[in-house]
Amino acid sequence: MTERRVKITAFGLLAVAFGLWVMDVVRQEQQGIADLGLTFFSVTVVVVVVVAGAVTRQSGREWMGLVMAVWLLVSVLDELVFEWPDSRTATTVWMPVHGLAPAAYALMVLAYPSGRLRTTSERVLVALAAVVGLVWMGGPLLAYRPGACTECVPHVSSWLYTGTTSNYLTVGKASWIASAVLGVWFVALLLRRLHAAPPGARVTLLPLGLAVFFASAEFVAQRVVWLGGWRSPLGALDWIDRANALLLPLAIFIGLAAIRRRRGPLGDLVVELGDAGPGEVRRALARALGDPTLELALWLPDRRVFVDEAGEPIDTDDLPAGRALTSIGPSGEPLAALIHDERLLGQRPLLEAAGSAGRLALENARLQAELRAQLAELRESRARIVRAGDAERRRLERDLHDGAQQHLLALGLVLQLLRDGNGDDELHAEAEAELQTALRELRNLARGIHPTILSEQGLGPAVRSLGDRASVPVRVHTVDERYAPPVEAAAYFVVAEALANIAKHAEARSAAVSLARQNGRLLVDISDDGRGGAVAHPGGGLQGLVDRVAAAGGTLTIASEPGLGTTIHVEVPCES
Amino acid sequence: MRVLVVDDHLSFRRLASRLLSEAGFAVVGEAADADGALREVVRLRPDVVLLDVVLPDRSGLEVAWELSLTEEAPRVVLISSRGRSDFGDSFEWPPRCSFLPKHELTTARLQDELGLA
Repeated sequence: MTERRVKITAFGLLAVAFGLWVMDVVRQEQQGIADLGLTFFSVTVVVVVVVAGAVTRQSGREWMGLVMAVWLLVSVLDELVFEWPDSRTATTVWMPVHGLAPAAYALMVLAYPSGRLRTTSERVLVALAAVVGLVWMGGPLLAYRPGACTECVPHVSSWLYTGTTSNYLTVGKASWIASAVLGVWFVALLLRRLHAAPPGARVTLLPLGLAVFFASAEFVAQRVVWLGGWRSPLGALDWIDRANALLLPLAIFIGLAAIRRRRGPLGDLVVELGDAGPGEVRRALARALGDPTLELALWLPDRRVFVDEAGEPIDTDDLPAGRALTSIGPSGEPLAALIHDERLLGQRPLLEAAGSAGRLALENARLQAELRAQLAELRESRARIVRAGDAERRRLERDLHDGAQQHLLALGLVLQLLRDGNGDDELHAEAEAELQTALRELRNLARGIHPTILSEQGLGPAVRSLGDRASVPVRVHTVDERYAPPVEAAAYFVVAEALANIAKHAEARSAAVSLARQNGRLLVDISDDGRGGAVAHPGGGLQGLVDRVAAAGGTLTIASEPGLGTTIHVEVPCES
Repeated sequence: MRVLVVDDHLSFRRLASRLLSEAGFAVVGEAADADGALREVVRLRPDVVLLDVVLPDRSGLEVAWELSLTEEAPRVVLISSRGRSDFGDSFEWPPRCSFLPKHELTTARLQDELGLA
């Protein structure tokens, strides 16, 4: 049922109840039987119509208004038909309604403040109260004969009267005992709710307290009447009922107003949150919710974890006892969460209102936390890139000394020997060989620094040439498209390093490289059928690739289950 | 003059040995790494060790330090593809050592260093 429908239904029921009551007042006035009880109940009806109407109008309180309207209608019918003693229709309606009155009462009290029953035991209790009430009144409905007891009302039997003389009083007694048990249960439920109430919510508990008081008072009074053997209910019992009917709706109204007033701090909260840092957001929310232990958990969408304000991850599945989590923002992609005293869960509207008020500031705080995390990562990766650059230069220097230069030095010795006139053909051949080797090594080195084929012909041919020179057969699938130099370089070196790793570690029989372009991103996949188990260690070649790709604005993921080969997947944004 | 040539680069080692032999040195042995060099020094008792600074197992400098501590230590001529300035002015060379960049390695320079000229 939509909130609008609930609202219309509630107002409709209130109007019907009020109309019926006005009709009855007119009738009683005409018959001259109006008494103090009637006057008092008239006041009650007016008060409840006004109060329930006001509650129904509040956004988010429609259900509470409806529950109060139902209770008023049942009460009015109960009172009205009871006072209309000489009609068989009145008797037929009155008995079931009278039986249902306690259930309606329990529903109104237990549904406070949300207007809905929240726990199974509350629902079972209300349902049982309705059943017991109907059974209790079912007997009289079928078998009640006026005159069986002199003081009994109504004065006629119902339309369902069967003429049997079964002893419905026995059923009545059994139901009565059942209702006593339900009454005790009802009071116990209320006491439990009072006990579990959130900190700083005394006024909002007024209706529950009153209900406990009246239910207990009536219970005791009824027992006294019963034990004392008074046939007729005491006048006091009627007055307990009447006071209850007037005071409880008022208390509900006051309690709801208090809950609203407790939202008052949220008004200040919005102002306070204007330009608050995460720490201040926490303090402001804690103050507004009256829970000094409140903690903030900020959601990091990239890592899909909650972190505290310092950026440390929080295990939300393992909260300490007595703590509860309320997430803010869309479920699945929350903005943040409040970790708070479990008892605040009873005030979900307040929590949600606080969350909504804090949204902007929390978004802000989350971005700050995310930014801090990214900055830290950026600092680390920058340092890693510099370290990798240094290591690369050391490697180049060593390669030059150990490679090409050694051959040129050997060539120098050969030339000395030739100059000294000790030359032979063998020496000439050796000179040539040394020179060729030196040149080849220089070419290789230059290609390692930056391959000519990459800058001249582009990524596709460069990757194909890497595949041709690899140590295992490589299936290469490429696109002949040019990309920005940093993108081509990143992709090329990932493939080169990955193929080198395959040669060194993978024990693979074959490998595959594919380049593809999709949605403005260059996708690179390198896979092998080797032993898997590759991990990016800090300072390792894979980590260097991760950093290199990140520097080009891309991502690199490694899938390397032991025994199932390794797949490296790279996505780099490539404009145009 | 009995010489031991130590260098991990095969063609350079062979050519250096040949150059020295033709200049009148007696090349008594060759080694390709630090451990081999130390073994050959003990076995062959050379007068001169032509010792590459960069060796695969340990640094030639370490070998030179070790040799300088032995009785009747041979003369050590360290050779390197790096220049003297690559090591810096304050570099502490092992005692009784000469240093020759490989590109300056000629029989004349070697004889100079050994005071034979």
